[in-house]
Amino acid sequence: MNREQEEKLTSASRRDFFKKTASVSAVAATGIMVPSTVLADDPNIIHHVKWGTTLGYECNKYPYGMPSPYEHNVVRRTSALMSSAGDMHAAISMTPIAELEGIIVPNGLHFTRTHNGVAQVDPTKWRLMIHGLVEKPIVLTLEQLKRYPNESRILFLECPSNSAAEWKGPQFGTAQFVKGMMSCAEWTGVRLKTILDELGLKPEAKWMLAEGSDGSEMSRTLPVEKVLDDVMIVYAQNGEALRNEQGYPVRLMAPGWEANLCVKWLKRLEFGDKPWYAKEETSKYTALTASGKAIQHFYALETNSIITSPAPERDWKDLEKGDLVEIEGLAWSGYGTIKGVDISFDGGKNWVEAQLKGLVLPKAWTRFSYMYKYEGKPLLLQSRSYDDSGNVQPTVNQEKAVVGVECVYHRNAMITWAVSDMGEVSNVQIRS
Amino acid sequence: MFKLDRKLIIIGMTLALSSTLAVAAAAECIPGVYKSKPGAIDGGVIYPRKDGVYTAYRYNTQSTKGVWFGRTPTANEIKAWDTDVLPDGTGLPEGEGSVEEGDELYEAQCAVCHGEFGGGGKGYPQLAGGNQDKDENGIVKTLKNQRLEPGMDAPKRTIGTYWPKATTLFSYIRDAMPYAHPKSLTNDQVYAITAYLLAQNDVEIDGQEMDDDFVLNKDKLVKVVLANANGFYPDIDGPKGPDNVKAFFADRAKNIGAGIRCMKDCKDPGMDGKTEAKVMKIKYEMKDVVPPYAYAKDLPPETEGGSVSKAEKQYDTSCKLCHGTDTMGAPKVGDATAWAAVMKKGMDKVLVNAIKGIGGMPPKGGNTDLSDADIKSIVEFMVGASK
Ligand code: HEC
Ligand code: HEC
Repeated sequence: MNREQEEKLTSASRRDFFKKTASVSAVAATGIMVPSTVLADDPNIIHHVKWGTTLGYECNKYPYGMPSPYEHNVVRRTSALMSSAGDMHAAISMTPIAELEGIIVPNGLHFTRTHNGVAQVDPTKWRLMIHGLVEKPIVLTLEQLKRYPNESRILFLECPSNSAAEWKGPQFGTAQFVKGMMSCAEWTGVRLKTILDELGLKPEAKWMLAEGSDGSEMSRTLPVEKVLDDVMIVYAQNGEALRNEQGYPVRLMAPGWEANLCVKWLKRLEFGDKPWYAKEETSKYTALTASGKAIQHFYALETNSIITSPAPERDWKDLEKGDLVEIEGLAWSGYGTIKGVDISFDGGKNWVEAQLKGLVLPKAWTRFSYMYKYEGKPLLLQSRSYDDSGNVQPTVNQEKAVVGVECVYHRNAMITWAVSDMGEVSNVQIRS
Repeated sequence: MFKLDRKLIIIGMTLALSSTLAVAAAAECIPGVYKSKPGAIDGGVIYPRKDGVYTAYRYNTQSTKGVWFGRTPTANEIKAWDTDVLPDGTGLPEGEGSVEEGDELYEAQCAVCHGEFGGGGKGYPQLAGGNQDKDENGIVKTLKNQRLEPGMDAPKRTIGTYWPKATTLFSYIRDAMPYAHPKSLTNDQVYAITAYLLAQNDVEIDGQEMDDDFVLNKDKLVKVVLANANGFYPDIDGPKGPDNVKAFFADRAKNIGAGIRCMKDCKDPGMDGKTEAKVMKIKYEMKDVVPPYAYAKDLPPETEGGSVSKAEKQYDTSCKLCHGTDTMGAPKVGDATAWAAVMKKGMDKVLVNAIKGIGGMPPKGGNTDLSDADIKSIVEFMVGASK
């Protein structure tokens, strides 16, 4: 099949194509009556394929392996809208969530948010200082940090402005832009408590400042209570060193909390008895509600979910009435572990329970699944997750009623995909 | 009869008991149902780390007591890095600067992005302006703006209308601005620019307006009370700060809203009962997606022209920020007229300007790691790409 045909296939119904070729070739080739259920022979099966008749490339041609070139369209994407004045140094790029499987995002596709460009840190010159209200301050090199016993956790990271553009109505035409400001990976590093046990935290210490070494010196204040519970200093992502975009060589990891709090290119941790009021916890990353007052120190990402199949970029145009098809999606909560996900086909009036599948871990992406008999009728498809902390995902109107539409951050209202009778999928909202 | 009854009751009891045990045991096996208790500071649950098990993870239970790598930082090292500033003024350096000096610095180094007088309009954050009038509860009125219909005004979040603390402005400018070469300003210059921006936001200090010769220093900066100082909750200050945060997020249904798990004939709990819910569609389709949307599983188009030169790469990382557009007063690469005008001075003079800086152009574009020879080849690339 050449490229032109391939494109036709993706635009038209694959099955129709095979049926048409079936009747044409059957008649043309033999002129004999063939039962209509018999399909044309697929040349990819009948003939030897190119890669089966040639020598492949050498095993270590690419000492660092890359995805198949046929996958070149599965990439992060951005837009001037995701930046200051189209300046891509203060911008966000989105993970193609509908094109990924499982719960681990490949490192090259992990979403990225930068405030002063992507810093490229020389690991031999990198230092971490931990000081303030501790008995024994410490300064560490990367090698020394890696000497500490480590732990690994599969955790999602989400920018709290994921879906920020959708407060006033649907804006984006793909799952990638609707919810792509998040990813999930296995992170490895040192539990901060392990180091602090030796430093001796003073009892007055209530807050920790985490500061980055990049041009923006991005800094945030975290409560010590969280620090001692599950905060980590991580240096590896899915088995290899962090990518520059994720804070190479070291970032903070506050499980379930705003990715912005998980300071990248980490340089300094200071313990104090007062909060710092950094720019990213005052001017930004505060949620302005309809009362005119704003929520500050808003930490955990909300209980959330999105259906990734179907999605605008993974539609149902090739389905036929009666096909049994899997509806699949992602659920996550920074408050704990996903307990379940419900699915509605009529825009939230009636719901059925989906099933969770794969690993179900706290503060990590969780897959859900539902087998559906496609009927070729228009649908308003929604998912609604709930977790072990008692959170249930709200409707657009519910969220609006409590906080208004100018919050920017922490949006978790249900997402609605309108599925047309042709199987096209588009982003809509059900709201008053 | 009586005996039998009793026996039955006992059997019943054991049955009931064993079934609760079964449920408890099941709860431990069902993936995703881990032992947890509410009460995390963020409103979520806490999972115990016990006997080497933490939710689905196992961990090493051997003692880590005495694990110590690294060393004690010197006093000078701490001094060099511990420069953060707290709202009470802790950490503010000595130094001073006037509104007038700040005006000049701002015009030269900041206005290209943040607009004249901090007024924005260039796509970068707006730093001044917005109505600071308050309602009877002391809330900045325009922060209550909600864009429920097209054409409505947005709440304006500037230093004057939204920021709670002026010390944040000082430390942020010192650490992070100007954008292309952060940490290049002296403390005096940062005081001056901070003074200028506060003045543009109509800030008064001790009842005194900040006119052109007002000089800002650390004692005066801590006295600044911004209009929206009380605009944030929960209250994080004082020894009760963390407890306030915990209490706030414990009551999430009231404070941030929560959904309800209805399964049949559900009514949207967020509706007022009067208006009909509508299906709202996307009004305008975002066009400038980079790279453009594409989903074909095909081979990428052949890349033309081969590899990118070293000079072009250096241009991309150190110069493009300003020279890639014509909004910043820098001659735009690709603009033949602009570059023809520049080159009239002669290459030697232009190189000196690029190396030493001129107007809004910092020395070597702010990247002092570049050698003079690098600058020469970059400028040659820029000129070549602008013919
Ligand atoms: C090249 C463009 C550029 C220049 C020049 C520049 N800035 Fe910025 N500025 C930015 C960007 C981009 C941001 C947002 C950064 C982010 O995403 O965190 C910003 C953010 C700020 C903010 C925070 C705004 C807010 O509402 O949170 C302040 C204050 C600021 N700049 C002050 C200055 C000052 C003072 C100067 C001059 C010394 C300056 N900037 C020069 C681009 C610029
Ligand atoms: C912060 C923004 C900024 C950056 C970064 C920057 N420039 Fe410039 N550049 C300017 C501005 C503004 C001018 C115009 C200055 C004027 O004429 O007042 C300019 C002018 C120039 C000129 C013309 C000088 C003349 O004599 O008229 C050259 C050459 C130049 N830049 C080279 C570079 C090179 C090479 C780099 C990267 C290494 C660079 N610039 C990075 C802002 C910048």
